[in-house]
Amino acid sequence: MLQQYAIIGIFLLGAVGTAVGSIVVNWLVRPKPEPKGDKRATYECGLETIGPTWVQFKARYFLYALVFLLFDVETIFLYPWAVGFQELGFLAFVEMMIFIGILALGLWYAWKEEGLKWL
Amino acid sequence: MVNFGLLYMEIATAALGLMLLAWGLLVPKRERQGIAYLTAAGLLALLALAWCTRGAAGTVLPGYTIDLYSIYFKSLFLTAAFLATICSFDYVAKMGFNQGEYYALLVFATLGMMVLATSGELITLYLGLELMAITFYILVAYRLDDPKSAEAGIKYLLLGALSSAILLYGFSLIYGTCGSTVLREIGKRISSGQADFALLLGLIFVIAGFSFKVTAVPFHMWAPDVYEGAPTPITAFLSVGSKAAAFAALIRILFLGFDNQAFLWLPLVTVLSVLSMVLGNLVAIPQKNVKRLLAYSSVAQGGYLLLGIVSASLLGIGAILYYAMIYVFANMGAFMAATAFYNNDRSDEIKDYAGLARRAPLVAAVMLFSVASLAGIPPLAGFPGKLYLFSSVVARDYSYLWLALLGLLMSAVSVYYYLQIVKAMYTGNPAPQKGALQVSRGMEVAMLLVLGILFFLGIYPTPLTNYAFKAGETLFMP
Repeated sequence: MLQQYAIIGIFLLGAVGTAVGSIVVNWLVRPKPEPKGDKRATYECGLETIGPTWVQFKARYFLYALVFLLFDVETIFLYPWAVGFQELGFLAFVEMMIFIGILALGLWYAWKEEGLKWL
Repeated sequence: MVNFGLLYMEIATAALGLMLLAWGLLVPKRERQGIAYLTAAGLLALLALAWCTRGAAGTVLPGYTIDLYSIYFKSLFLTAAFLATICSFDYVAKMGFNQGEYYALLVFATLGMMVLATSGELITLYLGLELMAITFYILVAYRLDDPKSAEAGIKYLLLGALSSAILLYGFSLIYGTCGSTVLREIGKRISSGQADFALLLGLIFVIAGFSFKVTAVPFHMWAPDVYEGAPTPITAFLSVGSKAAAFAALIRILFLGFDNQAFLWLPLVTVLSVLSMVLGNLVAIPQKNVKRLLAYSSVAQGGYLLLGIVSASLLGIGAILYYAMIYVFANMGAFMAATAFYNNDRSDEIKDYAGLARRAPLVAAVMLFSVASLAGIPPLAGFPGKLYLFSSVVARDYSYLWLALLGLLMSAVSVYYYLQIVKAMYTGNPAPQKGALQVSRGMEVAMLLVLGILFFLGIYPTPLTNYAFKAGETLFMP
C-alpha cells in the first residue's frame, strides 16, 4: 500500500523536477549581459507594429465550432447504431430519429438566427 | 426493459421546450408575443397532468424511480415556472429580442430540475443539475444592455463550474469507495462496511457542492450579485426552483445513500443551517436594493429549510416539502411585485418604492403579504411552514431546542428588514410626477392567485400538509 503511494510521490517529484529544472537550465544558459536596443524589439526584421496590439479579433469561428460539434456528436452515436442496426430493432430506430430530429432543430436554429453567416 | 411510459412528465416537458424553440423560428420576429402565452398554457397543462397522475409510481431504471416525492417536486417546479412565465410577459417583451429562446430555456431549466429531483443515481443526477445550471447561466446574462447582467452571468458561470467540479469530485470518491452510483445500492454497501476517510471526504464535497446551489453560508457569496444582475423573473425562478431542486437531490442523497452515516453529516448540516440563518438575516438588514435584500432573505430561508434535514425525520422532510412549496408562492409574489415596479420605474431601490401603496394598491399588497409570509407571520402560509420546521427539530431531541429558538429569534430579526420595504411603500410619499403603475392583466390575475393561496394555506394548511407528508413518506419506503 505504502509502496504504491511512494510511486505516486516519485512521479510527482519527477513532474515538479522537470518543470523547475527546465526553468533553472534556461536561467543558467541565457545570454548575459541582457540584450539591449534592437535585440529587444518584437521583430528583429520586418515592420514595426502600428497602433496598440490589444485589438479585438473576430471570434465568429466559435459558432462554426459549435455547429461542427453538433455533427461530431451525431456521428459518434450514429456509428455504433449503424453497426448494431440489425439487433437493435425498431425501438432504436425511433430513438435515433428523435435524436437526429433534436440535432436538426439545433442546426435549423443556428441557420435561422444567422449563426452560419460570415459577417 | 426500460419503461419509457413512466417518463411521461420529462418527455412532455422536453417536447414543450423543443416546440417553443421551433415555434420561435417559424413565427416572424414582431409577432412573438404569443410564445409567452403558449408557454404559460403549456406549463399549466403539464401541471394539470402532474396532478392527475400523482398516483403514478414505478421504476424506470434502478436509479430512476417515479414516486410521489418526485411528482410533488415536479409540480413545485412547474408552478414556479408558470409564475415566472407570467412574470416575464412584459419584462421580456420590453427587452424586445429572442423571446422564443427565453421561454424555451425556461422550460429546459424546469426539465433539468425535474431530472435532478427524480433521479436516485449520481450520474443522472449530475446530468439534471448541469442542464438546470447551464440554462440558468444563459438566462442570468440575458439582459444584453446591462453590464451588471453580464457580470452576474460570468460570476454564476465560474462559481457554478467550481461547485460542479467539487460535486463531481465528491461523487467520484463515493463511487470509488462503494463501487456503485445508485443511491440505494450505496446505502446498502455502506451499512455492510464501515466508514473510511475517502467516503467522508466525498460526503463533505457533495454537501459543499449542493450548498452552492441552496446558497448556504459560507457558499452563498455568488447569490446577491447574481440575483441583482439577473432579469427579475429569472431571479425569482432561480431562488425558488434551483434551490428546491437542490434540496430534493440533497435529501435523496443523504437519506437514501448515507442514512446510517448521519453522525458524519449531521454536524455539517447543523453548522450550515446556523450560519445561513444568522448571516443571511443580519446582512439583509443594511441592504438598499430590493433584489439584494431578497437574495439575503433567500439565504436565510435556505437555512430554515436545512433545519428539516437536521431533524432527520419524516416530520422534517414533510416540513421541507411544505415550506418549499409555500416559499415558491411567497417569493414569487415578492418578485412579481418587484418586476411590476421595475417595468414601470426601471428601479430596484427600496427608497424608490416610497408611496407605492397609493400608486398601485394591489402590487403593494402582494409585496406586503409575500414578505409577511416569508417572515412567518400568521395567518399567512409561511407560519405553519416555519412551525413544522422548528417543531421537527425540537421533536428530534430536546437538546436541539436552541436551534429552534435561534430560528425563531432570526425570524424576528427578518421581520425588521421585511418591514422596511413595507414602511417605504405605505408611509412614504410618491414623487409627484409618478402616476399609477401599469400592470398587465395576466400579472394581476397571477398576483391575486398568489395572495389567495397564501391566505388559504395559512388559515387551512391541511390539504398541502397531507400531500407533502405523503410525498415525504414515499422517500422512506424501501
